[in-house]
Amino acid sequence: MTYSSFFVSEFLVLWRRKQDVFNALLFFIIVVALFPIGINSSPDFLAPAAAGIVWCAAVLAILMAVESIFKEDYLDGSLEQLVVSGLSLPLLILLKVAAQWLVVVLPLLVIIPLLSEMLYLPSSGFWVLIMTLIVGTPSLFFIGVIGAALTVSIKQGAMLVMLLILPFYLPVIIFSTLAVKATQSGLPYSGLLAMLLAMSLLSLVISPFMTAIVVKASVN
Amino acid sequence: MSWAWFHKLGSPKWFFSWSKPWALPLFCFGCLSLLIGLVWGLVFAPADYQQGNSFRIIYIHVPVAMLAQSCYLALGAAGFVFLVWQMKMAPVFIKAMAPIGAVMSLVALVSGAIWGKPTWGTWWVWDARLTSVLVLFFLYMGIIALQNSLEDQVLANKAAAVISVVGLINLPVIKYSVVLLETLHQGPTFTLTKKPEMPAEMWLPLLFAVIGLYCFVAGVVLWRMQSEILMSEHRSSWVKQEVTKHGF
Amino acid sequence: MQSSASLTISDLWIERGERDLCKGLSFSVQPGEVVRILGENGAGKSSLLKIIAGVLSPLEGKILYSGEDVTLDRTSLQQDAIYLGHSVGVKGLLTVAENLRWYCPDISISILYSVLTQLDLIDLVDVLVKKLSAGQARRVALARLWLTKKTLWLLDEPFASLDVGGVALLEERIQQHVLLGGLVILTTHQDLMSITPHDVVLLS
Repeated sequence: MTYSSFFVSEFLVLWRRKQDVFNALLFFIIVVALFPIGINSSPDFLAPAAAGIVWCAAVLAILMAVESIFKEDYLDGSLEQLVVSGLSLPLLILLKVAAQWLVVVLPLLVIIPLLSEMLYLPSSGFWVLIMTLIVGTPSLFFIGVIGAALTVSIKQGAMLVMLLILPFYLPVIIFSTLAVKATQSGLPYSGLLAMLLAMSLLSLVISPFMTAIVVKASVN
Repeated sequence: MSWAWFHKLGSPKWFFSWSKPWALPLFCFGCLSLLIGLVWGLVFAPADYQQGNSFRIIYIHVPVAMLAQSCYLALGAAGFVFLVWQMKMAPVFIKAMAPIGAVMSLVALVSGAIWGKPTWGTWWVWDARLTSVLVLFFLYMGIIALQNSLEDQVLANKAAAVISVVGLINLPVIKYSVVLLETLHQGPTFTLTKKPEMPAEMWLPLLFAVIGLYCFVAGVVLWRMQSEILMSEHRSSWVKQEVTKHGF
Repeated sequence: MQSSASLTISDLWIERGERDLCKGLSFSVQPGEVVRILGENGAGKSSLLKIIAGVLSPLEGKILYSGEDVTLDRTSLQQDAIYLGHSVGVKGLLTVAENLRWYCPDISISILYSVLTQLDLIDLVDVLVKKLSAGQARRVALARLWLTKKTLWLLDEPFASLDVGGVALLEERIQQHVLLGGLVILTTHQDLMSITPHDVVLLS
């Protein structure tokens, strides 16, 4: 096994599971649609709330996608093979998360223009929203993958992952929505983007090692 | 300075015999000091000139809120110690401490709400402090739920340690973000951060209550750890001796 | 392949879920040796293999590989070893060829096809593994033994769900490997036909 052959096989598996990715995307859209339907569909409410709605939906969709990232590998024994491969387990996990991020977030970004139109997001906020998604979502994946590893041996672990991980997502949601709100009221937002970037980098450094510890303890 | 005591913490037997004489005195002293603080604070301390008698709830709210945060600090530290030195006592500590932290943050939330009603006019305000205690409560519940659903003990220990450490790293960020959220929203007009200078007869009972609660919790945690040790080491000969000598 | 490789286990103490599986276990494996681990169900055969492979850690004891102490960091052993556990580690959503290419990316098409022909998998080369039977999936995993040049083989019940032909094929391959100076440690409940192993017995 090499790092590149692992990365390629990860993409192949994700390609064969494209229905799951598509489902995550549909889930994302339907959660967004819940807000205008359930609360208020007037532009006065939606325009300032748009970024928050998109982020809440994105957080849920991403956590649903990340939650099962190790499940199949755990059941078929390939997770064990990663541990004994002699390659660096944190690096393999990093590659796995990177592949998953590309496959989940890129379609999500493609759908954002449509959704921001539906939520009456002013064009000034649109690009900032895109930027917060690009800069902020890696930390969601890196934090979420710890939860996925913690619960990989539990049969019905999805709810537990939600309970464990969602509190850690609050800062990302707060920084992102504040950044979009700041542009809408003409304030600088670069500091908030920097915070998001810092969170992504910090979790990129810490999470693979933590996840590796948990994965090693889980496969036995 | 000798580090022997630190390494001895890895041995359940050593920890058990070391902590045995501490639990009861700590507990009793804690109860006493807590009682003094509460009675003094709730009955004898002068009423606040702004808030009247409703301020008296700080004698409950402030100690439990402090405990709720300190407990998490201790959890994170224990998790770190376990991940780095594989110390056997650390997960036992986490297991004993997490429910106490959860209860403390819940009491802090409830007492905060009770205090909020006369002061802010509502039971709940998305104030930075209340919100971060709410998040803290969820973090505790997450650890407890995780420990309960993992059957393999080795994995449960590692998992609790990892999530405590990750939580500790994240806690300042969560706190900062919540404060940021509040300052950009319309904040409450009355904030707890700018308290007027307190006279001694007001803060002394508070000090008693805080110290008392810390000792009380320390005693309870030691007890919980001791019984956990007896459970998990039930096969070893010293536990059998211990139980037959003193009864359970 | 390193023909000078050797594995030495000394004073190993295995604990599993608060139960001591074995204490003070010592044995060594020299080039050209097959070691069979015997013991009742739950005696710790799989745990021993997992410990050597680096999935688990022993409570106490030492593992030496080619004279180097690998107890704390199993990397150098892992780079020269192949471990097949109960779940064989082939992905259901990849085809036979893709699975093997994942584990052995440098292998040429012709070698891959000749090995798959030997193992009776050549007609299934582009079939997703989830559509194969348990025995066929195990053959896919075992194909790695033909494709890699690792010295140390750690095989946990390798004969499970194989048919008679498969068992004979695998035994032949193990023989070949050992003749070239390889090391094999395996657990099995079956009698071996053509191999005479050294037995290590785990007492519970």
